[in-house]
Amino acid sequence: MFRLPLTATVIFALSIVSATQAGEIVLDGLKNPSGIAVQPETGVVFVSDSAAGRIVRLVEGSAEEVITGSSGDTYGKGPKYTIGPMGLAFLAENRLVVADSGFPDGEEYLRVFEVPPAGAAALGYDDCTKVGPLAATDSVKAEGNFYAVAATEAALYVTCNGDDTKGWISKSDITGASFGELARFIASKEATEVDAPVAITISPRGELVVGQMGEITVPSDGLLTFYNARDGKLLYNQPTGLHDITALAYSPRGHLYALDFAWNDPSQGGLFRLDNDGEGGVNAVKIKSLDKPTAMAFGSEGALYITLIGSVEEGQEVGAGQLLRLKPGL
Amino acid sequence: MRSIGRSFLLVVLALFPRVASAQGDFEWHVPAGLEEQRVRIPKDNPMTQGKVDLGKQLFFDPRLSRDNTISCASCHDPRHGWSNGQRFATGVRGQVGGRSAPTIINAGYLNGGIVKFTKQLQFWDGRAVELEGQALGPIQNPIEMDMTLPEVVSRLNGIEGYRSQFQQVFGTDVTSEGMEKAIAAFERTVLSGDAPFDRLKAGDESALSEAARRGMSVFFNKAHCSACHTGGNFADGGFHNVGIGMDQDEPDPGRYSQTKLQGDFGSFKTPTLREIARTAPYMHDGRLGTLEEVIDFYDKGGIPNPQLDEEMRLLKLTGQEKADLVIFLQEGLSSASYPDTMPPTLPE
Ligand code: HEC
Ligand code: HEC
Repeated sequence: MFRLPLTATVIFALSIVSATQAGEIVLDGLKNPSGIAVQPETGVVFVSDSAAGRIVRLVEGSAEEVITGSSGDTYGKGPKYTIGPMGLAFLAENRLVVADSGFPDGEEYLRVFEVPPAGAAALGYDDCTKVGPLAATDSVKAEGNFYAVAATEAALYVTCNGDDTKGWISKSDITGASFGELARFIASKEATEVDAPVAITISPRGELVVGQMGEITVPSDGLLTFYNARDGKLLYNQPTGLHDITALAYSPRGHLYALDFAWNDPSQGGLFRLDNDGEGGVNAVKIKSLDKPTAMAFGSEGALYITLIGSVEEGQEVGAGQLLRLKPGL
Repeated sequence: MRSIGRSFLLVVLALFPRVASAQGDFEWHVPAGLEEQRVRIPKDNPMTQGKVDLGKQLFFDPRLSRDNTISCASCHDPRHGWSNGQRFATGVRGQVGGRSAPTIINAGYLNGGIVKFTKQLQFWDGRAVELEGQALGPIQNPIEMDMTLPEVVSRLNGIEGYRSQFQQVFGTDVTSEGMEKAIAAFERTVLSGDAPFDRLKAGDESALSEAARRGMSVFFNKAHCSACHTGGNFADGGFHNVGIGMDQDEPDPGRYSQTKLQGDFGSFKTPTLREIARTAPYMHDGRLGTLEEVIDFYDKGGIPNPQLDEEMRLLKLTGQEKADLVIFLQEGLSSASYPDTMPPTLPE
């Protein structure tokens, strides 16, 4: 029987996060930032500055370019968001995986970069090993529109949003320094009857934990699902009441957190802790309101880093994006 | 990190109470292919046989309209697939509205979303919430039934048969709140499922003809109809712009009128495809007369406009694929247990 790796108790409740958790803005002026990874060993935070087509790292309070030159694509019909590189994940100290979303479906890759040390010149967008693409076959259309990546020692996983009839989570097996073919792995829409696998992380026990975003026009349809990482079997599937889950992460204390973008009403978006409700379901506890949050990762010291798209006045250019840091303790 | 071992057993079942048989004296029949718990019953409006019978009378009664000519069933007629067989709906004094009357089959079914959380949005633009929130709208709409609530309540209170039933069901004289509850309870019984498609899914290999089976494959794959027409009711609960109306000088803004999000301009609620063979003409403005025209419309990728849904594109279906798709829609989604309700005897 599947046991849910959400901590059972809510005893710490909201006292952990006091009003002092305003969050410190550590970077601003970002353009639709949509991915975060924390470098092992160094603890340096990397961010995909998506509409700027680049990956930056946080060095002494400012953004240093690490990878540049992705093209951009448009998401949404109004509001519209330019997006380029999205999810990030480290496989080793210098090995960074970047998920494409700035190209047409079927021409998008997981790109594996060997990132240079801080201070070195930035890499070009093609200075990488490409994993993919997911070409069309007789029965399924070309896939792409990657959102988030997650990695175990054995495989890389990426959530895909090109094919709304299937909602693919794709996988590439890792053997040493080489990558197997990127292949469609879990048809999450068939498994859950809800659209759009977006958030993905690995549970402390090694399951794939996926946030199913659902239809952006349908409120409160976000699901929390668990799959066996090896065979893709659905283990757990519960409603959360959240609108549009964009990120999931386990805190060092073992709590599971989710970000809700809340497309239809961003004032409802924010950071939530997903507690076990004691009946096998999920109770989402709001920790903090956030303006269009897209990605998060816990730093080595236990702080939580979150990227937000933020809001700009009509007609203004993008550039309201921020990287936020919440104090350790979550 | 690994203190997570304290997690506990998952109780998969018993999360949401099943509605079956728990509903007083009301015998519930949710046909195969529909998920029972998606026909949500509000806590404050439980189903009872008396209430459903009362709601049915109200639904079919033209005395709810100013000139005693129009009932809900005038526009949602069981003989026309619970729609009206016309491009637009005609109300009192022959007035014609700007949108086509959708079927109310499975209108009580939660498409998409989550049983526990998601509100059920009614109308093409989703402006009403739940069936209860919809029911009094048409009665007061000047081009539909054109009554005020005090007028209709007082008229019905003058009909002894209604007064006594309201007393029995709600313990009060006729009230507008009771009317909306009774009508909604009746509408929840207007369900269609258990079609050949459902029987095939349940393992009956002979349920669909060869052509319909080919059409089913086109529907779920090459034509990706199921990107939007999904789930037990072939509708995702969402709103999409497929281009209908965007070729007009002043397009109907659809969902945009509620959300004011530019991306929702020209988006309409995905309609059910169950019993689709009976509900022509099609689309929110009733412009397409036949399923063949509908398929041609999708084959061309809809009508281009800035908010056109990403799932709309040139399909390049062959003549055979189009014909098979039509057969699947007609044959696969028409049920032998269609709710062919007869108008009830109205109270005096
Ligand atoms: C004059 C014709 C007419 C009459 C009379 C009428 N309706 Fe409708 N009905 C419509 C039209 C047209 C729409 C769609 C309007 C829109 O979306 O803006 C509609 C929509 C609905 C819907 C929403 C279905 C969905 O899928 O969104 C329900 C439910 C409904 N009507 C029930 C009723 C009830 C109950 C009555 C009687 C109290 C009634 N109607 C009387 C024409 C009519
Ligand atoms: C992008 C989402 C989407 C896709 C893909 C889609 N539909 Fe639709 N469908 C809708 C919406 C939304 C409407 C209502 C549109 C309107 O009236 O403006 C609709 C209306 C219809 C209707 C008319 C229903 C009625 O009661 O008037 C039919 C029939 C239909 N679709 C069949 C199909 C078929 C067959 C396919 C595949 C070839 C398909 N649809 C693909 C969203 C979609």
